[in-house]
Amino acid sequence: MLRIENLSKSYGEKKAVDGLSLHIAAGEIYGFIGHNGAGKTTTLKACVGILGFEEGEIYVDGISVRENPIACKKKIAYIPDNPDLYGFMTGVQYLQFIADIYGVSAQERKERTEKYAALFELTQDLANPIAAYSHGMKQKLAIIAALIHEPKLMIMDEPFVGLDPKAAHAVKEIMRQRCAAGCAVFFSTHVLEVAEKLCDKVAIIKDGKLIKSGKTEEVRGDASLEEVFLNGENANV
Amino acid sequence: MFKALLKKQALETLSTFTLSNKTGKKRKPAAAIGFAVLIVYAFGAFAMMAYEIAKMLCAPLVYGGLDWVYFAFMGTIAFALGFIGSVFTVKVKIYEAKDNDLLLAMPVQPWKILLARTIGLYAYTFVFCALVFVPSAVCYFIVTGFSFAAFVGCFAVMLILPLGALALGFLFGWLLALATAKLRAKNLFTALFTTAFLIVYMVLYSKLNDYLSFVIANGAAVGEKMRVALYPLMQAGLAATGDFGGAALFSLIFCGAFSLVYALVAHSFLKIATMKRGGVKNKYKSGVYRQKSRFSALFRREIMRMKNPMILLNVALGSLLLIILPFVALFNLDFMRQLSVVEEATGYISLILAGLLCLLVATNVITASSVSLEGQNVWQSQVLPVKTQDIFLAKTSLHLLLSGVPAFLSAVALSVMIRLPVLTAILCVLIACAFTLFAAVCGLAINLKIPNLHWTNEVVAVKQGVSVLVAMFANIGVIAALVGGYFLFGKYMPSAGYLAVCLGALGLASGLIMIWIGSRGEKIFESL
Repeated sequence: MLRIENLSKSYGEKKAVDGLSLHIAAGEIYGFIGHNGAGKTTTLKACVGILGFEEGEIYVDGISVRENPIACKKKIAYIPDNPDLYGFMTGVQYLQFIADIYGVSAQERKERTEKYAALFELTQDLANPIAAYSHGMKQKLAIIAALIHEPKLMIMDEPFVGLDPKAAHAVKEIMRQRCAAGCAVFFSTHVLEVAEKLCDKVAIIKDGKLIKSGKTEEVRGDASLEEVFLNGENANV
Repeated sequence: MFKALLKKQALETLSTFTLSNKTGKKRKPAAAIGFAVLIVYAFGAFAMMAYEIAKMLCAPLVYGGLDWVYFAFMGTIAFALGFIGSVFTVKVKIYEAKDNDLLLAMPVQPWKILLARTIGLYAYTFVFCALVFVPSAVCYFIVTGFSFAAFVGCFAVMLILPLGALALGFLFGWLLALATAKLRAKNLFTALFTTAFLIVYMVLYSKLNDYLSFVIANGAAVGEKMRVALYPLMQAGLAATGDFGGAALFSLIFCGAFSLVYALVAHSFLKIATMKRGGVKNKYKSGVYRQKSRFSALFRREIMRMKNPMILLNVALGSLLLIILPFVALFNLDFMRQLSVVEEATGYISLILAGLLCLLVATNVITASSVSLEGQNVWQSQVLPVKTQDIFLAKTSLHLLLSGVPAFLSAVALSVMIRLPVLTAILCVLIACAFTLFAAVCGLAINLKIPNLHWTNEVVAVKQGVSVLVAMFANIGVIAALVGGYFLFGKYMPSAGYLAVCLGALGLASGLIMIWIGSRGEKIFESL
């Protein structure tokens, strides 16, 4: 579903991502782990086509992000680490806007809006301006907007930040359901316990370079993911 | 602790000069110098204007033995400017300061937080008052010669006058903050308040010469009125002339008023700063959902940005003026019709009409701020599966709708009212429309080159946007070139011919800009 081949991206002299290659298959939940500034967000932004890159190639469902970004974007839903949504819209207006852009039928958008809004306990607030939302409410709305067009690939940057335990649990369930339906989920996180329990595969990135990747149980071996991550972090110290 | 608060206040004030609006990072030296030059120019121009007013008043009043009336009058202007300058800043920096919660959670008394902020505000108000009072004092000493007593008096007035303006600013700032916190349609309230202020300002400015002439002719009578109605400012006038009794009374009144207001605000600062912002919550009702096209969705998004009346007022003031223009023209209709009968005058009238319409269109800066208004939400536009040109089309369409329709209607109405020849009238209407298109694409191109995505309040992105200023200057420059061209080349062709040439030039310029937007502009937007 998502193939990253030899991706490199620099900011001036600094190489944010250096020759990264990953393959996320349909039906997989793939966790992306790394310290702050390791290159996770840069990689995710490159995958959704909002950040150019110097070297390498990214394919979404076999389509090149570089050559046909619009076709790729139609298959993706992206949730950034800090969901800055349109404060001048109400929640329901925002969901309508996203549904119009992705060509979701009136019936489907109504069903999905009400289903997910109820799940995240956001129904009553949908009529209020997003500007009045808390961080967690914005995060919930961004997740509902991501689900409204039933994307094949969900790319999420720290999706659990700001969510209450109930909503976080709901997101994990949705991720599993989407994958069971043949979609893929690629997300970054600092919460290693979540990655360990939720992900089929994980990749650990450090200073833009891939340190380890593969099935979660293989990556962690006999240790915990936290120990593997910290060992990798301290390797060059 | 208080020293740390003062330092924070100073850094906050200085950040306007040292940090870039565009990136939020430190300005480059050249940019910092450029910004400083711009500020000095703006302040210098204002001080010069104040000096011109002072020059008109000073000699007649001083030679009439009404020195104190002169200073009282100029002091009133300085006071008003200080008040206007401080009232909105007080609202933002005292009552709605973003770091109120952070500071109040620290082990520091609230009155110290307030005092640190007040010192910063005093400096701010002082600058506004000084812009008027310093030129007034300079003018006075040029006319009368230097006097030590008057110098000390002027100095004292300059230091104490801002305290009075600030005291009034505190009270009105509190009322404004209270109103905007409790009102549901606070943007509408602010927009109406701003419009009313703008109208009052324009009326006062247009009648300034009449007022000054009246003061010169009736100095003594004005002085008597001031003695009753503006007693504290009368004492300021006396103080500035070197009257120590007046100075003492003036200081007592102004310092007393300030102390009283400060004590009141300090007493209730904690309550004010933690005042819960009002607003009634809407409830979601499950209704009928409708599917719309992608373009419709993008266009509605642009319209929704204008829900904030303050943004609408700032980006589309010209549309309001375009609608008013035919009604204003009704008052001068006979004169214009008489002129339009004279064949030689038709060319000038059509040019003036086209120029005036374009000038009003030029003040509409919808596209010139449309990229900046994306702000931190720009990722949304980039991540959507839509072509960038569709996003641009939605932005341009809104400009054409809000600016083009009033321009078209106004041009048709005025052409009919003036009874222009049919061909000239059609060309005038077409020029107004072509210029609207030019202003739309030119504004978009400029905003793509100079975007400001790092704002905390979207109105700031419009009001203080460099792209908005540059776009307005560019539009006015083009109008000046078109009008100036008539005086150079108009004698070689009929007026209709010249208007046709202008139409062609505008079309060509718009086309070239559109080609640039379609290639380079799209790449810029995608990499924002």
